[in-house]
Amino acid sequence: MRVRKISLWLATLMAGAMALPAASIAADGPHANERYVLISHAPDSDSWWNTIKNSIKQAGEDFGVQVDYRNPPNGDLADMARLLEQAAARNYNGVAFDIADYDVLSKPAMRITAKGIPVVTLNSGTDQESKKLGAILHIGQPEYDAGKAAGERAKAAGVKSFVCVNHYATNVASLQRCKGFGDAIGVDYRGSMIDTGVDPTVVASKVSAYLRSHPDTGAVLALGPNSAEPTIQVLERMGKAGKLYFGTFDLSPAIIDAVKKGELNFAIDQQPYLQGYMSVAAAVIAYEDKTKDPAAIIAKLKANPKFQQRLKTYGLEPIYTADGVRSGPAFVTKDNVATVEKYAGQYR
Amino acid sequence: MSAITPSMTQSIGKNPAAKADERIRRISPWRALLNRPEFGSIAGTVLIFILFGVFAGDSGMFNLDGVMNWSTVAAYLGIIAVGACVLMIAGEFDLSIGSMIGFAGMMMAVPSMFLGWPMWASMLFAFAGCMALGWLNGYLVVRTKLPSFIVTLAFMFILRGLTLVLSTHFSNSTIVSGVGDKLSADPVVHTLFQGTTLHGLFGWLGNIGLIEKLPNGEPVVGGLPKVLLWWLGVAVVAGFILSRTRFGNWIFMVGGDSNAAQNVGVPVRRVKISLFVFTAFCACLFGVLQVADVGSAAADRGLQKEFEAIIAAVIGGALLTGGYGSVLGACFGALIFGVVQIGISYTNFDSDWYRVFLGGMLLLAVLFNHYIRSRATTGK
Amino acid sequence: MTTETKDDYILQLENISKYFGTVISLQDVTLRLRRGEVHCLLGDNGAGKSTLIKTLAGVHKPNKGRYLVEGEEVNFTSPREALDKGIATVYQDLALVPLMSVARNFFAGREPMKKLFGVIPVMDINHAASVAEEKLGEMGIHVRSPHQPVGTMSGGERQCLAIARAIHFGAKVLILDEPTAALGVKQSCNVLKLIHKARERGISVIFITHNVHHAYPIGDSFTLLNRGQSMGTFAKESISKEEVLDMMAGGTEIQSLFNELEGRAAA
Repeated sequence: MRVRKISLWLATLMAGAMALPAASIAADGPHANERYVLISHAPDSDSWWNTIKNSIKQAGEDFGVQVDYRNPPNGDLADMARLLEQAAARNYNGVAFDIADYDVLSKPAMRITAKGIPVVTLNSGTDQESKKLGAILHIGQPEYDAGKAAGERAKAAGVKSFVCVNHYATNVASLQRCKGFGDAIGVDYRGSMIDTGVDPTVVASKVSAYLRSHPDTGAVLALGPNSAEPTIQVLERMGKAGKLYFGTFDLSPAIIDAVKKGELNFAIDQQPYLQGYMSVAAAVIAYEDKTKDPAAIIAKLKANPKFQQRLKTYGLEPIYTADGVRSGPAFVTKDNVATVEKYAGQYR
Repeated sequence: MSAITPSMTQSIGKNPAAKADERIRRISPWRALLNRPEFGSIAGTVLIFILFGVFAGDSGMFNLDGVMNWSTVAAYLGIIAVGACVLMIAGEFDLSIGSMIGFAGMMMAVPSMFLGWPMWASMLFAFAGCMALGWLNGYLVVRTKLPSFIVTLAFMFILRGLTLVLSTHFSNSTIVSGVGDKLSADPVVHTLFQGTTLHGLFGWLGNIGLIEKLPNGEPVVGGLPKVLLWWLGVAVVAGFILSRTRFGNWIFMVGGDSNAAQNVGVPVRRVKISLFVFTAFCACLFGVLQVADVGSAAADRGLQKEFEAIIAAVIGGALLTGGYGSVLGACFGALIFGVVQIGISYTNFDSDWYRVFLGGMLLLAVLFNHYIRSRATTGK
Repeated sequence: MTTETKDDYILQLENISKYFGTVISLQDVTLRLRRGEVHCLLGDNGAGKSTLIKTLAGVHKPNKGRYLVEGEEVNFTSPREALDKGIATVYQDLALVPLMSVARNFFAGREPMKKLFGVIPVMDINHAASVAEEKLGEMGIHVRSPHQPVGTMSGGERQCLAIARAIHFGAKVLILDEPTAALGVKQSCNVLKLIHKARERGISVIFITHNVHHAYPIGDSFTLLNRGQSMGTFAKESISKEEVLDMMAGGTEIQSLFNELEGRAAA
């Protein structure tokens, strides 16, 4: 009997929970029935995507549409492929996603474009891959170039060797970052990379093990908060904080703190807010105006007052190019950190 | 031959001439259905579909491509759930299934991409290797009499590690790409494992208007994904063997009481080892199908799938302690899992709630199952 | 070996000893079983009854002595071999799987086969069910339905099922390990009646127990085991129930306890 009671309670609870209004933004207005989705490769534990989640919510508010965020909970790219198929089946008005692995995602992505649904890509992947998939735009930061720019800064500071702390090595884009940095300072990145995964304890132990066995390492490059934050602690414990050249991709409160304290030489901000907001906005404009012309879409977005307001609030600067837009790299150093600090982890 | 005296018979039991025992009630077909081990999972599936029908009915979930979407997820899980179910009925667990999925993919990718083997040979190599590992698992379990939990847990780590080692050694990254293209070029492997089939049928259905068409004229779903056919095949064969053959009877005996089975002459060791080989086959099949689908092999494939398989089998009515269960039930369990896993994305739920929701649904399905079964066996 | 001996005894253990490391479990035990005889093996716990049965059943090989079946020496290496010779053992755990049906249990390990579509070998469940029901009925056991799980049967019914199964599959010698140990009075009676039926069919029975009240009515002869050694084999005519009880319970120990308690009371 107890089993029966428990079952009934549980069933009512779940049915009730399902009936709650959507967690996505309640929208009204002429476009309230439109529905868009952003699909990322990141497992739930990857904190970097918080900014994007928040930015697409705001994009939804500004344009008066519903926006969903979907990701494979364990970061399994096969699951991400399923999510893309699902997006096609659900007949969203527009889809944005990151090209974590072109081979894995190309077929499902074609399903979406085959239905005539506007697709915008962001973050991982190259412009060529984006075009091959039939996407209208790619909004990201070319990984290799960003790594290279960072490497050049390090080279200017006299760095001759480095270790690349990679917490998402299954994503081919991560390798591009390390490679760019390595090429700039003239080192083969493959011998200088450690695959740490996202568990902070594991990251810390792998980094300290590497630095102990390679005491002449000239620099450390982390690829995001998941790899940077444990590394900051490791360097503090080893007494190397501020002495070892240390740079990272992306921002978080802990990273900003370290930049302020001089423990981090720079943080590369790819301005994820722009990636999220602009990709959704581009999809909305593409659907509503029935256009596939990237230049026209960007022009319209640029002229949008709400968008400009957001840029001013968060101090963001998109890098407009001839037929597209780049979200980075923007280098955050001790000199310009204050402006970024306010919104770190949420919108910056 | 026996001289049964009347007095003896009367004092022992009822009059042998009375065929219909008054202790058997005429039970309705409904009650007979309730007694079956699958009933709980079938009821759970219906419940889940009703719930999703209400809350996600117009979201495209029940369009043809939506159906293909979640049934594909269910099919993958279904293949390994059938394997896990049959093994669980025999009283053992295989926690290395998930790692073997990744390992199988790598075993197929590495020889074909880096060692110049033809794809069909790599595919056979993968199956042979995995089944040999399954045999080893089984052998260690029956030999050492250690709980299978422990032995297969060790292999879970070993295989996951080996997958990563193979991948980084040969391709310097955790993923081996380009397998899909090579696979398409190999007629045997392509026909068996890749893509969809029955294109003619779907094309015809599109032409007569039963299936929607894409803007470019193709039907929205071009064919039946082969993974569904493999699921069907594996389930039918396993279910048949379990319920209709002598070997199936042995499986129930081994799981119910392996000492008793030994005493009546059932080859307990042979049964258990064969079942470990079978689960390895299922895991390899999953791995190969996934590589064919996704086009690459990676070190993180199949993560935690062993637990999903066990859960699907338990939802389907299999007892964790062994000796009871059904393949059909495990299939419904996989279906529930697949529908919930993908179906949540069709609702308006924030994706952060996915795990909470999934766990809740599963708890509900299992409780429901338990309730139905206890009613059935205590006979109300 | 005279023909008389061969006909008389279906099973013989001659001077059997069994050691486990330094522990002497059985020492020089002799047991002879005639055809159609119910022979009770009595002894307190730890007397070596289990080891003796397992030796008879083929689980253990004796370290010393000879084991003869129908006058011929045998050397069993597995229980299966003993079973093939017609020596069926019903253990305390009955070798029944509670979750499975009566029919499946009845035919476990010896499933009747048929060919589906003339090709695929499958189990003939219907045949198994009807035969199980019929054979059990002959033994006086009426199951409600041959598809009901064995778990729904009472202890006594299960015991009878296990015995009936052994009889059906051609046991010549039935070894029953404490069949009435966990049963109530009525159920024990049913089991004893079944043993009697088996005897009427010409089956020899070795009935192991520590309960003399069950053994004495049904037994034709008794062997008493004490601490691994046989205290003798007695035909029913030559020994009374009380004498058996005395020898089993270690009469001297009980007597001295009694004396001590009396002494205390007096003091």
